[in-house]
Amino acid sequence: MSKLLLIDDEEGIRKVFSISLKSDGYDVATAASGQQGIDLFQKEFFPIVLTDIKMPGMDGIEVLRRIKEINPEVEVIVITGHGDMESAIQSLQLGASDFLTKPMSNQLLSIALKRAEERLKTKKTLNNYANDLWNMVKEKTEEIKRRYEFEDKLVQRSIDGIVATDKEENIIIFNPAAEEIFGYTENEVKSAMNAGDLYPEGITQKISDVFSGKNRKVSDIFVGDEASVTAKSGEAVPVRFSCAMLYEGDKPIGSVGFFQDLRGIKRLEKELIKSERLAAIGQTVAGLAHGVKNILNGLKGGVYIVNTALKKGAADWAAENKIDYSKTSALPLQPRSLKRIININNEREHQQKKLKTGWEMVERNIHKVSDLVLDLLSYSKEREPEYEKYNPNIIGDEVCDLMESKAKEYDIDLIRDIDREMGKIYLDPKGIHSCLLNLVSNAIDACIFDSDTQKLWYVKVRTRHENESGVAFEVIDNGCGMGEETQSKLFAEFFSTKGTRGTGLGLLVTQKIVNEHGGTMDVVSQLGKGTTFTIRLPGKKV
Amino acid sequence: MAKKVLIVDDDVDVRTFVSSVVEDIGYTPEIAKDGEEGIGKVKEKKPALIILDILMPKESGIKMYRTLKTDSQFSDIPVIVHSGIAKRTFLRSQKALDEFGDQPVPEPEAYLEKPVEPEELGAMIKKFLS
Repeated sequence: MSKLLLIDDEEGIRKVFSISLKSDGYDVATAASGQQGIDLFQKEFFPIVLTDIKMPGMDGIEVLRRIKEINPEVEVIVITGHGDMESAIQSLQLGASDFLTKPMSNQLLSIALKRAEERLKTKKTLNNYANDLWNMVKEKTEEIKRRYEFEDKLVQRSIDGIVATDKEENIIIFNPAAEEIFGYTENEVKSAMNAGDLYPEGITQKISDVFSGKNRKVSDIFVGDEASVTAKSGEAVPVRFSCAMLYEGDKPIGSVGFFQDLRGIKRLEKELIKSERLAAIGQTVAGLAHGVKNILNGLKGGVYIVNTALKKGAADWAAENKIDYSKTSALPLQPRSLKRIININNEREHQQKKLKTGWEMVERNIHKVSDLVLDLLSYSKEREPEYEKYNPNIIGDEVCDLMESKAKEYDIDLIRDIDREMGKIYLDPKGIHSCLLNLVSNAIDACIFDSDTQKLWYVKVRTRHENESGVAFEVIDNGCGMGEETQSKLFAEFFSTKGTRGTGLGLLVTQKIVNEHGGTMDVVSQLGKGTTFTIRLPGKKV
Repeated sequence: MAKKVLIVDDDVDVRTFVSSVVEDIGYTPEIAKDGEEGIGKVKEKKPALIILDILMPKESGIKMYRTLKTDSQFSDIPVIVHSGIAKRTFLRSQKALDEFGDQPVPEPEAYLEKPVEPEELGAMIKKFLS
């Protein structure tokens, strides 16, 4: 029960009602005049004030006014004189909660007080609700703020470039990582640029289509793949790019693009390839030593033969036998001299033949050295193909012409399957010539090495179109084929199944040239049945 | 007629070189570029000595060697193995084949590891033919 202040100038009323109210459980204080009441009220808080209207000095209306000034929430019940409706109305207008007429009945007073208490309780509850609500709002706002700040930090700290646009395609997010990639500052972008300036080609059109309604319900505009964007400097930056639409329910409200800078990775890839190649070159020295040793032995052998032939030169032979050519011209010739002359000539021919043989051996081995060195250089050097618009069929025909006689020697049918509808494409004629020559030569060797003598061996050289502008070369043989182990070593350095004849680098050089053209090479083979090598070139300048 | 020496090797340079050495010491060289041709030449030319390479395509060197040593019509022709692989590697491989195959095969009369000096080769040939 609450505290209550009773203001009445009549002592009797004060005594009687204070007892009655106390017995009801109220904590009653009394005041004999308006001023006294106000003084008391200023010192203590009373949620309920009961005041007489008609009092000398400060009347109840004034008391009401003052109390309401101090605390408008206080329940003030005024006691009016019988029939004094004006005061009653005025009090109500001034914010009194209730009025009672004299003589006061306990019952009515009780009811009025109860109602006052109710209102107080309601007010309190309302206050509490309001407070709680206020606190909750504050808390939630804080939480949202923290969340927002956290996510903002995520965006700012992300190592991937994040760019977001609103529905007018203005850029609303451009994080530091994006600054790194594009070279523009956030300010530059937000004030003067739109998504079309940044996103890879074609993307902004797709986004516009979603906004214009042409393409509904598209969530992913582009899913993480390699693309290229142009930085402020004009440099083309390789990125892994993905882009998605942002929706609120069904409506598109913006887009977000993620850019992963691939420059570092690309650089590493290049370096890895380079270092792999250098490592291979290191390994190469061992293989090289072996190859060179064989060649040197060949050279030595040739030199030996030439030397022996020179030593046994016909001149020496003639001198040994003391033949005077000036005398031999006289006719008739004696049979013995004739025989000697014939012998000398035969011997001379024989020695000349040997000289020729020996020298050819030397030449052959010099060729081998030269081939080996050139292969090695081709393999290890970083080389840009020297492109020309060239008809690939010319290369097909050239290579077949070169290998025809060897194929015939070994009873191999060299078949040309050339697409006569072929036009010119961009390629490096010398490079592709050596690739095709390598493959055809390998195919012929595969037939030579084949132990199945029942077969009718063939090597088919085919040129054909591939996709729109590309070209494919196929070299198909039905020779000895390759097992899995051999296939796995195919592109290993100095791996050759050809003994001393192969440099071991042929396929590697071929593969390198094909890669430089932006093309691909693959092989299908079955042990005992045959092999097909396919080179695919894109045909355009890379 | 001068004695014949059969030279079996898939490398033309080796054939040329050994032929030259054979001629220089006064014998007649015959050549074959693989084991199959080699067996044919043995039957046809009946050489007094065979100089045989081992590492040839289709394993024809090994096949020819085992044929020579197991067939009574050839087994008494001396064989000099002239190869790029070391002697003990060759002997080890033969032993392995013996275990897989039917009968053990005798070692070659001589073994020369490539590269060989012409004088050494010449001396070895002379040893077998004189």
